[in-house]
Amino acid sequence: MKLAILSESPADEAALRVLVEGVLGHPFQFLPPAFRSRGWPSVAQVMPAVIRHLHFGTDATGLVVVVDSDDSVVHTAEHDRPEYFHPQCRLCQLRAIFRQTVKRLPPAHGREHLLRCIGVAVPAIEAWYLCGRDDRVRESAWIEGQARGVPPYTRAELKQRVYGTDRPSLPYEIDCALREVARHRPDTRRLEYDFPGFAALAADLRRWRQGN
Amino acid sequence: MIASIQFRRFKVLRSAGLQLEPFNLIIGPNGSGKTSLIQAILKLHALAGLPVPAAAESAKTPHGPELIFHFTPPHAAVEARLSCVSELVCDHLQVKSPKAAEWETVKAELAGTRVYLFDHYAMAAAAPRANGVELAANGANLAAVLAARRARDPAAYAVWEAEALRLLPDYSRIELRDKPGDAVELALGLREENEIVPADGLSQGTLYLLALLALAYDPAPPSILCIEEVDRGIHPRRLREVRDMLYRLSYPAAYGLSHAPTQVIATTHSPYLLDQFRDHPEEIVIAQKSGRSATFERLIDRPDLDELLREGSLGDMWFAGLLGGVPDEEISAPPAKEGNHRPG
Repeated sequence: MKLAILSESPADEAALRVLVEGVLGHPFQFLPPAFRSRGWPSVAQVMPAVIRHLHFGTDATGLVVVVDSDDSVVHTAEHDRPEYFHPQCRLCQLRAIFRQTVKRLPPAHGREHLLRCIGVAVPAIEAWYLCGRDDRVRESAWIEGQARGVPPYTRAELKQRVYGTDRPSLPYEIDCALREVARHRPDTRRLEYDFPGFAALAADLRRWRQGN
Repeated sequence: MIASIQFRRFKVLRSAGLQLEPFNLIIGPNGSGKTSLIQAILKLHALAGLPVPAAAESAKTPHGPELIFHFTPPHAAVEARLSCVSELVCDHLQVKSPKAAEWETVKAELAGTRVYLFDHYAMAAAAPRANGVELAANGANLAAVLAARRARDPAAYAVWEAEALRLLPDYSRIELRDKPGDAVELALGLREENEIVPADGLSQGTLYLLALLALAYDPAPPSILCIEEVDRGIHPRRLREVRDMLYRLSYPAAYGLSHAPTQVIATTHSPYLLDQFRDHPEEIVIAQKSGRSATFERLIDRPDLDELLREGSLGDMWFAGLLGGVPDEEISAPPAKEGNHRPG
């Protein structure tokens, strides 16, 4: 299985590689080069081109995309109803972009289309790193905070808790990310339970596994 | 550290003010005062090292350009007023300091000011070993500086070298080769081949990265660092590391270092570098040009900043013109001879 990853930074990518392997239960082949976006909405802008490139120019099996939700509307079970689409939900938006892009592509490299694997870290990937360490950090707490108009924590606070500073160096950020996701790798159920944005990614991956 | 500067009739900065943070990234169009800001600091640095004129003489402030500097606590009461008879002759310094010792302390800090605009041609040349104390303004003595650091503290040099090779994965070693006349030259060994690339065969961006890294790992870092076009020649994907290098100087504690913070003032035209500061908009200064004068504005002071950050990347917002700091564009029909013509 050859996978490409579209992420915002080398640290995010390092963490995703471990988490994807944890969900799949086996190593996968990473397809270089690493694709980078400049955050939202750049990821939505480059994704169709990345999909077309992977579809026609490589034998990649699938594309893994993870973005931070920041202050956007968080995906909920309601959004998963048939034909439902929330225009301010990043998961809904990325899934729609993926769907619209692949449906126009003819089969190539012996496959119908590229497999989709999309996750959203709420509000940022550092929240995933704190899962299991700090019970207050969970997607439901963020949604409740949004509803009250008082977020339970800020992105800067999450960074501070994970890295001890909100200005970590990239190597240190990667070290911390790998240390934290190593806890989740053997069993991602807690991360999936606390963070449905990660569960969405895991569900996509499992669909692939069942299909192969 | 410098807390603020007031500019009066100083080049394009006719009536402008700027509060400075430990780290400052200045963006704006050409001719908007970014370089003038650095020149102002350089002038203060130069004049602070000279004896302050007697009070009677100081009172004769000419009606030319004027720069007023204030400093961070515990020296907040110190004021340095720099008057110029012209843009070129700017040599009149008045200091208000409650205690003479306070100005002496500020003066000592200002003596540690360094201003950089790297020149890869100069950096590629061999440098006399004796010039290895402090990186020159154009980076010309990079090889000598590295050689001196290696001789003085091999362990610290090894840390620097490991970081340099992490940033430059095509290379496996850094060589400092003896050259005639007791000079030293920089060269990098390719990882995949047994080949050494001399400095004049290295890319501009490679040399700039090495020089930036040399600054970031300086055992005696400057108190104030001004650096022009800090992203120049460097791939956008390497700009996170550029930010890290500068933060290492400005926020040493975040990097486990105990030395005093360096106040960094860097300029850029890169939207990609600007993107790296999304989490710290207080560090961004926008130079706004209006006709023949310019002012400074801190991004954090924008009332709609949160909305802007929700909509997209800072770099895109800047390019789009939403942050200001963009050149004037005169839209007019081109002359008939020079314009494009629709065929047929």
